[in-house]
Amino acid sequence: MALDDARLDAWAGEVHAVLGENGAGKTTLLSALAGLVHPDQGTLRIDGREVRLTTPRRAWHEGIGMVHQHFALVDAMTVLDNLALGRRRGGGFRLDRPGLAREARELGLRVGLDVPLDAPVGSLGVGERQRVEILKVLLRDPSVLVLDEPTAVLAPAEVDGLLELIRRLALEGRAVLLVAHKLDEVLAVAHRVTVLRRGRTVLEAPREEVDEGILARAMVGAEPEPLARRPGPPSDRPPVVRLRGVRVGQRLRGVDLEVRAGEIVGIAGVEGNGQRELARVLAGRRDPHEGSVHGPDDPAFIPQDRRREGLVEGFSLTENLALGLHDDPTWRRGPWLRWSALRARTADVMDTFGIRAQGPRARASSLSGGNQQRLVVARELQGRPRLIVAENPTRGLDVAGAAFVHRTLLDRVAGDDPAAVVLLSTDLDEVLALADRVLVVVRGRLHPVPPERQTREGVGALMLSGGGVGP
Amino acid sequence: MADAAVLTAFLEASVRLGVPLALAALGETLSERSGVINIGLEGSIIAGALGGALGALATGSAGVGVVAGAAAGLAVALVFALFVVLLNTDQIITGTAVTLAGLGFTAVVYQSRFGTTGTALTLPTLDPWPVPLLADLPGVGTALFAQAPTTYLAYLLAPLLWWLLFRTEWGLEIRAAGEDPDAAAAAGVRVRTLRVVTCLAAGALAGVAGAHLALAHTGTFSEGMSAGKGFIAIAVVVLGRWNPLLVLMAALFFGAASALQFALQTLGFDVGYQLFLAFPYVLTLLALAGWVGRARAPAALALPWPRDGA
Amino acid sequence: MSGRALPLVSALAALALTLALAAAALALGGYPPGEAFGALLRGALGSPQAVVSITLVRTVPLLLTGLAVALAFRAGVWNIGAEGQLYAGAVAAVWVGLHAGALPGWLAVPAVLTASVTAGAAWAAVPALMKLRLGVGEVITTLLLNFVAIDLAAWLVHGPLQEPRGVFPQTESIAEAARLPLLIPDSRLHAGFAVAVVLAAVLALLLRYSRVGFSVRAVGASPPAARSAGRMPVGRVVAGAFLVSGALAGLAGGVEVAGVTYALYENLSPGHGYTAIAVALLAGLHPVGVVGTAVLFGVLEGGASAMQRSAGVPAAWVDGIQALVILSVLVVDRVARRILVARGGRG
Repeated sequence: MALDDARLDAWAGEVHAVLGENGAGKTTLLSALAGLVHPDQGTLRIDGREVRLTTPRRAWHEGIGMVHQHFALVDAMTVLDNLALGRRRGGGFRLDRPGLAREARELGLRVGLDVPLDAPVGSLGVGERQRVEILKVLLRDPSVLVLDEPTAVLAPAEVDGLLELIRRLALEGRAVLLVAHKLDEVLAVAHRVTVLRRGRTVLEAPREEVDEGILARAMVGAEPEPLARRPGPPSDRPPVVRLRGVRVGQRLRGVDLEVRAGEIVGIAGVEGNGQRELARVLAGRRDPHEGSVHGPDDPAFIPQDRRREGLVEGFSLTENLALGLHDDPTWRRGPWLRWSALRARTADVMDTFGIRAQGPRARASSLSGGNQQRLVVARELQGRPRLIVAENPTRGLDVAGAAFVHRTLLDRVAGDDPAAVVLLSTDLDEVLALADRVLVVVRGRLHPVPPERQTREGVGALMLSGGGVGP
Repeated sequence: MADAAVLTAFLEASVRLGVPLALAALGETLSERSGVINIGLEGSIIAGALGGALGALATGSAGVGVVAGAAAGLAVALVFALFVVLLNTDQIITGTAVTLAGLGFTAVVYQSRFGTTGTALTLPTLDPWPVPLLADLPGVGTALFAQAPTTYLAYLLAPLLWWLLFRTEWGLEIRAAGEDPDAAAAAGVRVRTLRVVTCLAAGALAGVAGAHLALAHTGTFSEGMSAGKGFIAIAVVVLGRWNPLLVLMAALFFGAASALQFALQTLGFDVGYQLFLAFPYVLTLLALAGWVGRARAPAALALPWPRDGA
Repeated sequence: MSGRALPLVSALAALALTLALAAAALALGGYPPGEAFGALLRGALGSPQAVVSITLVRTVPLLLTGLAVALAFRAGVWNIGAEGQLYAGAVAAVWVGLHAGALPGWLAVPAVLTASVTAGAAWAAVPALMKLRLGVGEVITTLLLNFVAIDLAAWLVHGPLQEPRGVFPQTESIAEAARLPLLIPDSRLHAGFAVAVVLAAVLALLLRYSRVGFSVRAVGASPPAARSAGRMPVGRVVAGAFLVSGALAGLAGGVEVAGVTYALYENLSPGHGYTAIAVALLAGLHPVGVVGTAVLFGVLEGGASAMQRSAGVPAAWVDGIQALVILSVLVVDRVARRILVARGGRG
């Protein structure tokens, strides 16, 4: 039940922003427009004509072009081949690469999208990939252009360029649908705003009639609690983890880092700059190719992809908690695990962490995203670890779930025996709100952010230093 | 010179034994490029062999046998494709079942038709078609160009499939489906349709390979005569790095490995017939061990799609 | 893998589907299905002697290879090579058995079985190493090694290990001391049956309750989660499961030699290692379930020749039915999953 009575009207020549919390149904609604999801009920009209978008092909034919949040590009192929894919202009046979290249260059020049046509997509940075994706869509000359959270992966300076482009594309007479969750971006570019909450349209209004407060209330149903933390004095405790000259291929190129007990170190950066490797080296989940790592034996790790890496979805809650305990002598009797004791403990943990599930025997796959994340956090924090590494820990969570994760991390750096926390996040606001110190990761190197520059603008500028993004 | 005669016979046998591998492997290249690994290829081959035998027997024409073999191979692949593409079942398990079904039911049909006594069947054979001029080339002429017509099908298919995969829009879509079916589907590619088609093409080619075994090779059918050629063909695809031209060469190389037993026996080496039988499998294993590290399979190969199942 | 939510219901549904398909296929081939099934059941279960000396004897190798496959699949290892590992075990068992004449029985039998276990594990070590060290998928390598093992066994019985008279392509019989004792006097049921059933129980307990079994299940369900969340050495777990799987299949070969054939010959196994895949899948990869499905396939194989004799249905039908079982399990699994999703589980 991702969508329940959602409405959306888009007008040619307008930028229409679709707002909503994570899980409000924005992506589902757009997927229905792209022919990827099929509504159980309801109608879709284009120019007054009712259409049924059963496949992505149909959506293309109806003039709907979608720029996906996780780009729908084939990494192993060149940019040009990606542009050609699925168009069938040669009837299946002739693949007219030179003709397409000419066309792409002309269009790129006209709208200001510069992409390297012969490079494999896999070698491009995130910003470039997005330009490829947009160009791919524009080449099909859609009358409706849909962009799913296009700014989420960009550095602040790139965002401005993109918003400018979006406005121009609407002025050319297209209907542009922009999905976003950053209010300021929406207010800067949209002509009209729709807010979704729990799969319903709760607000639709022209830009002039709304402000940040109205939109925020419409999204959450109430004024959101501002997430704020005053950074404490520099910790004088000894370092819990220390990296020296750490290298992992081309992804991490000489990283030094010390994290002390009682501090949250925030690591900001555009996705794909080495965070993945850094998180795993810090958490002791992989060895670097070069350099030294001194840290505690068993750091806690909250991975970004909880369904793949954080949990075994086919396992029960008890089994998932046991993943962290199966080597612990307390929970073993000879070769056997003490399952009944583990089940009792799971029931306790469900209480403590507010995990809503049918019981310790319920499968992890039956939990909501927020409850799955609570389960991961509960398991990782159960041994009072000295070091906690969290990688985009609130991605895809609703407000309550995100607040829970934030509170838990803050709890663990408070008190007499605090842990050290490393928070790697592509959400700049999250990093700024929680971290005592902020570092920016660009192309596999860490750059500390001086305290006076720990603002959106300051960090954003650093994220682009080194002349662009990408591996 | 006796040695020259041995060499010619060896080359001739290499091609004759390599062709069924090449046909099956070329088809498999196509389906793997679209993201489907078909362990059921062996089932298509044995079905093609029986289909070829029955077709040739019924009409007295080996040519009709080849067509019947293709149809039988395609029918087996249809079952595989329905399961794997439409029901989204596990490719390895489904392929294994399809191979077992192929081996089992061909034996059933053979036994109900010809009894269980094991009297050998004599079939019309595919006569060699010497290619004018080319067949007269010194040394390799007869070996390469005085072969059964199915041989030339393999020769022609390799460049044709290369062109299809790398120079046409269909090829682009097939490769995209094998690399990233989500991205391909979002771009408007009909991933499932493509995969069904490539699987069927692979099945039909494996069927022709089976018919070649029965009609060009031995002129008879025996239970289980595919003898793991489908599995070797899958390894040949790996060794040929999913490139039809290299796949053809790899298949001929393995044909040579199988032909070695005859050549060495002729030359008087007597190590034991069964050890020679094992040689191509061992060679395949060695080749996989030494070679595969540098080749990259299509990224979505053997993965269920759509990913969330149901 | 298969519908774990309701394994028994799923297995029964798959079985019903198989029977329906098999009946339809038989009818299509011109055989009255009732008569064929009747003959099969009479042949397999018609008398106590048939049950014990035919069906249960047939069950033993299926049970052991079925356990081998179930364990491997639970660990996410596609070991399609139980057939080859069985032959490796049989070869080693015969070789030790031929030289064990001087040993007392309490030593000779364990020596034979240990040899078969070791050889099966060694045969599995090749694809395990290729998988973990060289990144070569185990599906093709295990399949290819089946052919190598079969050809190797054929070569041995035609050459180095052929019986001294050199007439038949088989070895001499192994020493009396090396043969498994009978479970029931005057039957053919040997102690290997008891060994296999005990192993099934042990494996079930280990998988469900032990730490190492938990690791195997976690690695099989999700290698990234096992590595990251479980801090498990995924490669070592995979290697261990692969080797134990090979050892079980090797034991199947050893038990056949020491309990049934007393010699090695060509076609010692009519494809037990492949049937094992159907056995394991129908059991939902559960070791206790494997006991049941192995008996079921023992009935099928045990009754096949009777079916051929009295109903004129070629015994090869049974091979086809094994494939139908796997396909039916796959269909039922998909349907069950769709029902679960429709009931409101997440996708």
